[in-house]
Order: sequence, then structure tokens, then C-alpha cells
Amino acid sequence: MTNRRDFLKLSALAVAATSGMPGFLARAATQAGGTKTLVVVQLTGGNDGLNTLIPYSNGAYYAARPTIAIPKKDVLTVTPDLGMHPALRPLMKLWDDGHLAWMENVGYPNPNRSHFASMAIWHTADPSQAQADGWIGRIAEKIGDPFCASNLGAATPQALQASEFSLPSIDSVDNFQLKLPAGMNTPFESLLNSPRSGEAAYLTRATRQMMKNTARVQENVRKYRSGATYPDTKFASQLRDAARLIAAGVGQRVIYVSLGGFDTHAGQRAEQDGLLTTLAGGLSAFQADLETQGLAKDVIVMGFSEFGRRVAENGSAGTDHGKGSVMFAFGQGVKGGVHGSSPDLEDLSEGDIKYRQDFRGVYAEALTRWLNLDARGILGGTFTGPRWIA
Amino acid sequence: MPLTPLSRPLTAEDAAHFLRRTAFGATDEQIRALVGKKAQDVARAALAFDQSVAPGNPFDPLQGATPGAALQLGRGAWLYELAYGPHPLREKLALTWSNHFVIATDKVRNVPAVADYLNLLRRHAATRSFERFTLEVAQSPAMLRYLDNDQNRKGKPNENFSRELLELFTTGIGAYTENDVREGARALTGWTFQGGRGNRQYLEQPRFVNQTQQHDTGRKTYLGQSGALKGEDIVRIATSHPATATFVSRKLHRAFLADTPDDAAVKGSADTWTRTKGDVMAVLTELLASEAFYASRSRIIRSPVEFLVGGIRTLGQPKIDARSLLNLAGTAGRMGQVLLEPDTVKGWDGGREWINDTTLLLRMQVAAALTMGSKAPNLDTPPSLLALTGQERPAGAVLLSSLRGRQRTYLSLISPEFQLA
Repeated sequence: MTNRRDFLKLSALAVAATSGMPGFLARAATQAGGTKTLVVVQLTGGNDGLNTLIPYSNGAYYAARPTIAIPKKDVLTVTPDLGMHPALRPLMKLWDDGHLAWMENVGYPNPNRSHFASMAIWHTADPSQAQADGWIGRIAEKIGDPFCASNLGAATPQALQASEFSLPSIDSVDNFQLKLPAGMNTPFESLLNSPRSGEAAYLTRATRQMMKNTARVQENVRKYRSGATYPDTKFASQLRDAARLIAAGVGQRVIYVSLGGFDTHAGQRAEQDGLLTTLAGGLSAFQADLETQGLAKDVIVMGFSEFGRRVAENGSAGTDHGKGSVMFAFGQGVKGGVHGSSPDLEDLSEGDIKYRQDFRGVYAEALTRWLNLDARGILGGTFTGPRWIA
Repeated sequence: MPLTPLSRPLTAEDAAHFLRRTAFGATDEQIRALVGKKAQDVARAALAFDQSVAPGNPFDPLQGATPGAALQLGRGAWLYELAYGPHPLREKLALTWSNHFVIATDKVRNVPAVADYLNLLRRHAATRSFERFTLEVAQSPAMLRYLDNDQNRKGKPNENFSRELLELFTTGIGAYTENDVREGARALTGWTFQGGRGNRQYLEQPRFVNQTQQHDTGRKTYLGQSGALKGEDIVRIATSHPATATFVSRKLHRAFLADTPDDAAVKGSADTWTRTKGDVMAVLTELLASEAFYASRSRIIRSPVEFLVGGIRTLGQPKIDARSLLNLAGTAGRMGQVLLEPDTVKGWDGGREWINDTTLLLRMQVAAALTMGSKAPNLDTPPSLLALTGQERPAGAVLLSSLRGRQRTYLSLISPEFQLA
């Protein structure tokens, strides 16, 4: 913990000096280093894992879901027992090339069926829900650079919360620039220099950071020429922005993207089918773009949802909140295949699958073997998981 | 222990603080009118609102050509009421409740249902009975649709509303078990609505119905109480649970006192809540005249809507054309706050989560549009620094005083002080 304390001391000093923060950032940025990027994809609302990676040889699956099960004939077979949802067809090439991994049966102890409590657990990597900072926020503090991790979207998820930093959220790279009216630059600079405390000091810091971040992005993104055609969805346009930031070499180590709407309590088939189509279309375009740009060896994608859904369908052709679920990862740096064993659908906990792999073990692999960071310091403990990095 | 009332007569900064919190902001003249008054009188007067609305609202959702357009017009109509309406505190409370009893228009997708829901929030803005309020919300077609209770039938329970009733609307996490969620869902079976379903019926009025043949009449146990419980019983038991007093009081403190509420002060309000059996009017009257309220300056980061409406009201409510207002409602969305459309049923967390690079940029653009742009409204009398910042001598006062009207107003609107209430 001495690192963290030193860091806090350093940032307190930097904040006290009027022009300290930018200098401090400049120093920190040199430490960020590294050329590998991790893209985290959040499926918000509780994606149904059983209808994503389907146990098509299991009669219990079809018995529990007479209305919403994916028929065997539609499944994209990946093993003798498992197959992908048909909407994920654009990802099949990655599977065939050995670069798509499924982590089966992932969860955490004492699962929480609340969207928000469970999402907070995935964001903080803390099932006791004692921490407020996110696991990616802690990466940024470890690296010492608030710009090493960015969210693409309007609101910053808790995963990117840090005690001292405000990590950037970039809604659109094109609009990510500051233009003050003529003659206002100097007065604005003076205004920000007035001493402040409390939330006003926080806002001053956030504004200064924004000014620095926007300048940094705009200097660099001009270099990017898209190498793929992206579908016309918000999700895909955010992935295109992710590719631009990576191609620009702005220095992000972690980029965060979300796709919402997975809370399928009713009429699940239509809803989830559409969402998985959006997901696979965006992700496959992103991968194609990276390959064209020659960046594919440096980028991996890891996806999760806050929980899976109940094994049995409910009376509204939907599913209620469940527990464990699948995670996925892909990229040239990923060891493809199914990691871990499928859930036993006849040995359930309150109607839900029992998890067998802790998500923190999956995170640890990305932290240690992809980002080359000390996972223990970030996750607050030692977690081992599947060896899904190639 | 109830909250200690403020004993001093209001100073100018007290009055500015009160109006920033309860009216999104105000002009110098409106602030000065409260100076020297008693805090209790000021709180009671602000809470004594009726249901009258701003005249001349240019938006009518019923004229929307598609469900999406109609809902957008509805957002414009609400923004107009927030900015120009006669009862800003009623609207501030409706906004607060819309972030408590969350619905999302894209799922409800019915104009009369959304309008009825918003009017319900206004009618109960300072309700005398939280139980009654919750019951009406639970039976509103908007909520029935949003949390799927319209599909909750005997033998085929749908737990969505039952869970959020406890987790987000009444007791909060920790006070109930998964079994309570399941039993609550059984008790709520049969509550649904008729009419207004589907994309084509978006202008048709839906109506609550209790389909008794779909109700599970069996025995249930809910939060320790057993019997052939019905939906009304579930609402009564959940709203009168001791944890509800604290959980909802905390949200009121979050809206009116601080992004990070003080536990002792929350307990003061929870005690009043318990003593008055969920009389929100009594809790608010005490809260808005308390020492704790007046000691909590600059501890709330304004939400996007509060920022926009605060700007308009501080500038003296200049006339803004309908198209620009509609754009502003869209801008609030890009800053993270689409009216009646939080990302999730938990609502907006607010506080520092409103602030990031993109939203700060947008706030600066809006401030420029309101003050320096070619279409900026006319400002006969530029607002005083007190009206803009809530302080007579804010940080950077010397610099700001040396600037002329529009520039001073612009810089104040993008200062950290204006982002706070």
C-alpha cells in the first residue's frame, strides 16, 4: 500500500500548486508505457449466458425453456455440447482461427441478484461491496495517469471511478475538443487559478484534466483512417472511436464500452437476438479494423455481464435475474476455446446455476499476462483463473 | 431527534442558497425578497404550491407524429415547465421522484401513460402519505409496463416490480430476503392495465385493472407478515417498514442537502418520517428550514437539467424559442440526463458522476450559447455574482467584476461555483 500512499501525497502536492496538475500528469504519462490495450465490453442488464453459449446437447436446457430455448438446428456448434447463439455468426471466424475464448460458469461468492449491487461487484472487483473505487480506476492510479483508461459513452461507470482521478468519458471523439469564445482563454485560466476547496476544487481539477485530455486526443486522432465498415449502431460507433484512439497512440491501456438492454424479463428471444446481433456486428467490424491497421496483435477484448438469468423461463417468455454466466474474450493475444466446465443444469441454487470460476481470476489473467500489472495490488487478493491469454 | 431549525433571519447568501436548491436558481431581486425572513416561513411558502402550470407551453406531445417524437415533445414540455413554471420546488420534487420511482419512456412508449405518471409525481410532490403515493405509482400503467407487473400472473410470477419495490423504492438492500421478493410478486399478481399497448396505440389512454382471476389468493409471508396478502398489503408493509424511513429520507437529503448525505441528519429526518407515518410534507418542511440545510452550501453538483434550468432562471427567464428549448432537452440527454429516461431503474447516481470531459465540454457550450452566441437571449440586467455563484465574494470575484456583462455571465456559468448548488 505504500505506493498508493505515495501517490496520494504526490497528487495532493500537485493539486496545491497552481500549475501543478499538468506537470504532474506529464511526469506520470511517461510511466504509463506499454503497448497492449484491453477493451472491456459491458453487457448491461444481465445477459442470459445459457442462450449465448448454448448447451445444445443437454435435455435439461430444453426442458427448462420450452418457449425461448435456441433450437439445436440454429446453434453455431463449437464443441460436441456447446454452440453459439446464431446472432454471433460474425464472430465464428475468430473462433475458427483459435482467437475467441468463452469462460464458462463465471460468478462470485454469495451472488447478488440486484442489477446494481451485482454490477458494483464486477466494477469494484469486491463482492463485499466495501470499496467505492473501480478496478480500472485502480489501474489508472497504479499507472499514475488518468488518461490511461477511458470510457466511451456519456457517463463514467463505477469501474473507472478513482479516488483522486476523474477518468475521461468520451461520448464522441469528433466533439472532444474545447473551443472558448475569442478572448476568453486567459480570463478562464485566471478563474481556474483561484483557490478552492471541497467539490469546487474537484471541479477545477476535472476541468483542467479535460482541457489537457482534449488537446491530447485532437493532436493525435487525425492520423486515423478507418479500415473497416462499421454497422450503423451507437455501439459500433463507439468501437470505431475506440479503434481511432488506439490507432492514434494516445496512450490508453484500457478502453471501456457498454451495450445496454439485456434485462429480458419478457419476450426475451426478440430482444436478446437483436442485442447479440448488435454486439457481434460491432465487435467483428472492430476486429477487422484493427487487422487492417496492423494493430490486432496489441488489442484484446473482454466481455461480461453482471449476472446471467434464471435457468427456467418465466411466464412471460422471458427470464428473471440469475447468478453466474459466461464471459468472452477475443483477439490475437487470446487463447481460443471453452475455458472451464459448463454448469450442471440439474444441480441448481435457487433455480440458478452454481458458479465455478471467480471473475476476479479472469480479470487477474488480463492484468498480469496482458497489461503486465500486479493483479494482487489491484484486486486486493490472489485469484487464479483460466489461462485465456495466449 | 428532529432537525434543529435555523434560528437566524435569512442573510442574502442564505436566501441565494435556498433558491439554488429549491428553485434551481433565481434572480438578484428574487433573492433579496427573502432576506431577513424566517427560515420556517420561507420553507412553508415554497411548499405551498398548487397544480397550476406555466401558460403558453409550446409543446403538446399529442401532436407527435410517432411515439418517439411524442415522447420528445413531452420532454420539451417538461423542460418548459421546469424553466418557466410558477412552482419550481414542485418541479424539483417531481424531478427527484422521477429519479426514485423510475420509469423509462422508451419502454412505456405511451403518451397518456407518461403524462399521467408525471402528473402523479407533481400531485404527490410533497405528499402527506408516502404509502398512498407508492400505491398510485404501483398502479400506474407507466410503472406496470416499465417493470413488467402487467405480465405478473398467478402461477407465472414476474418478479421485476416486486424486487425493485423493495430494493429501490422502499426499504433498500439489506432489509429483505429473496423470499420476500418472490412472495411480493405473488401478492402483486393480477395488477395490470388495459389499452394503449403497442406502437400504434401510443396515444390511447391505458387504464389500471385488477384482474382478480389472475391473482394468487394463497397465503404469503412478506417482511415477516403472513396472510392472504394482496398488492395493497405489500405496498403498505413495504412503505411502513422502518428501513423505508431512512432509505427515502436519505434520497431527500441527496436531493436537497449533499451528494454525500450526513448520517446523523438523515436520521433526524427518518425520525420525523416514522413519527408522522411517512408524511413527506412534514419531513420537507422541517428539512428546508433546518440548520443542516443552511450549513450544506456547495455540496451538490448540479445535474444537467439543474444546470440548464438554473441558467435560464438565473438569467431572469429570458424567452427561448421552442426549437432551441427542444435542443436543450436533447443536450441534457447528451450530458447524461434524458428526462424520464435514466439508463437503469436505479436512476441517476449523480454527484461526481455527472462530471467528465464530455459533459464539462457540453456545459461550456451551453453556457456560451446562452450568453455569447449570435442567438443568445437579450440580457437587460446581467445577473449579479450572488445570483450566479450563491456567494457575495466568490473565488475569482475580482476578475469577474472587471469583466463586462456577457463575458462575466459566461465565465460565471462555466465556473466551478455555478456547477454547484
